Amino acid sequence: MFDESEVLLEARHVTRRFPTNSGRELVACNDVNLKLYRGRTLGLVGESGCGKSTFMRFLVWLDKPTEGEIIYKGRDITKLKGEELHEMRQHIQMVFQDPSTSFNPKMKIRDIVCEPLLNYHRIRHSEKDRKARELLQMVELPGDFADRYPHNMSGGQRQRVAIARALALEPEIIVMDEATSALDVSVQETIIQLITKLQREKNITIGFICHNLGFIQSFSHQIAVMYLGNIVEVMPGDQLSKVCCHPYSRALLNAVFDTKMDFSRKIEPIKGEPPSPLDVPAGCPFQDRCEYCGDRCRHEKPRLTEIGPGHEVACHRYGGGEGA
Amino acid sequence: MALLDIKDIDVSYGKQLTVKDCSIELGEGRICSVVGESGSGKTTVIRAVLGLLPGGGKVTKGDIVYDGRSLLNLNKKEWRALRGHDISMIFQDSGAMMNQTRLIGASFAECIRTHENTSKADAWKKGAEMLSRMRLPDPERIMHSYPFQLSGGMRQRVGIAMGMTYQPKLLLADEPTSALDVTTQAQIVRQMMTLRDEYGTSIIIVTHDIGVAAYMADHVVVMKDGRIEDQGDRDHILNHSENEYTRRLIAAVPSLGGKRYV
Repeated sequence: MFDESEVLLEARHVTRRFPTNSGRELVACNDVNLKLYRGRTLGLVGESGCGKSTFMRFLVWLDKPTEGEIIYKGRDITKLKGEELHEMRQHIQMVFQDPSTSFNPKMKIRDIVCEPLLNYHRIRHSEKDRKARELLQMVELPGDFADRYPHNMSGGQRQRVAIARALALEPEIIVMDEATSALDVSVQETIIQLITKLQREKNITIGFICHNLGFIQSFSHQIAVMYLGNIVEVMPGDQLSKVCCHPYSRALLNAVFDTKMDFSRKIEPIKGEPPSPLDVPAGCPFQDRCEYCGDRCRHEKPRLTEIGPGHEVACHRYGGGEGA
Repeated sequence: MALLDIKDIDVSYGKQLTVKDCSIELGEGRICSVVGESGSGKTTVIRAVLGLLPGGGKVTKGDIVYDGRSLLNLNKKEWRALRGHDISMIFQDSGAMMNQTRLIGASFAECIRTHENTSKADAWKKGAEMLSRMRLPDPERIMHSYPFQLSGGMRQRVGIAMGMTYQPKLLLADEPTSALDVTTQAQIVRQMMTLRDEYGTSIIIVTHDIGVAAYMADHVVVMKDGRIEDQGDRDHILNHSENEYTRRLIAAVPSLGGKRYV
């Protein structure tokens, strides 16, 4: 599906455990293996609390995995320290969900978008004004916005500024954590158009977190579905509705409301809620909510198995083994 | 006759005119979705129906008629009898409307005792029954929990159960699924549809999720900048509307197997 030589970043066996007060362990990410390809978008989907943000935060050093490694430019970036880490940070940047809380309200837009550049001594203070205008124009905002404060702008405009800030250092990878969830649909659409345009121009790799499958399939090259800290399915983005086969991914897909659906269709939401990540059952994590659950699912945890080009699934019903 | 008739109302906050010339008619057992971008005044409209406009908000023109009587000049006592009994509301986060330091059961019992002259124990029992009628698992445990101990989806379902205790004829839902995951959203949507099918409840749902609005509604109202931009039955709005804004809004909704940007 994708050219292996184009792998830009690879996460291998990444696990994150959080100790809890009661002495137990919460496993937020369990043996996650993912690859980011150059100039492609990886969409990571799942319910809240499934560990998707935890994983993406590793890429920008907001947290460190307990086990496993993340290989970028031939090095394990989770082990970097000091000067090396500082150097590496410019290649991976992040856009947060809520732009109104990820900016310093007392800084002008000019200072916000130029701060990363000054940090890395890429520009002089005297060049700030020119550079800020250039960056704002890149995200299709008027250059005069440089004199504004974050609160003088609408949510969509702020999110554009956040994208401008993330792109200021010309990173190779951008992580977007629900970057459009707080926006109206019409604004959402323009932001996605902007992101995909910039991606084509600058060949940026994007890791995008979202919980709406319908939305994410419109711009992802690769989609990973996560449940209770485990990746349960990885598939090519353009064939999502055709190839998706894990019962959980299917359930997510069935829960999407869109304007072109058949309105007489009964929605069949999956029962219940995900169990607490503290008591992940042995065997398949999805067993208690799965209609196909069999004996084998209760004892043996399914492994991610490749069943098609670029398509891996962790379910006993697929991939070599006999059905559950 | 329509159950609820919003007749050409204006709503102002102080001198700021927020909603202008708004008319919506809702028949019994019908579902109406109000959609629009944030700041379009959709929440203001349904808050006006229940007399819950915050800080100085007032209906300055027109009339809101429910079941043949005007809702604009009710006194406190009349409101208390109506709210939660004939007309209920579900908020975006039902947990936030409850007292965080009291058990859900205590809040629920208080709500029941506002409308009925019963003992605390009976009210508690009635609350638990209501939860199980709404198919919530383990009602006694929920009654003995604090709002913050339940998940968002569960809190929302408790909120719906509370709102439905007296089988109101009209349910107002203000972004009931916006804070939830897609899977929980589907559960809540299904539950609200069941209310209509089993109890004949009329529902007004305000949402910016056009997919949900389209799935639930018989009638769709599109609002923009405090005015009704367009309204009509679902099929008309989705497929045949001649309004430029409506068409753009519908086209922006991401759709499975629809437009791809890459």
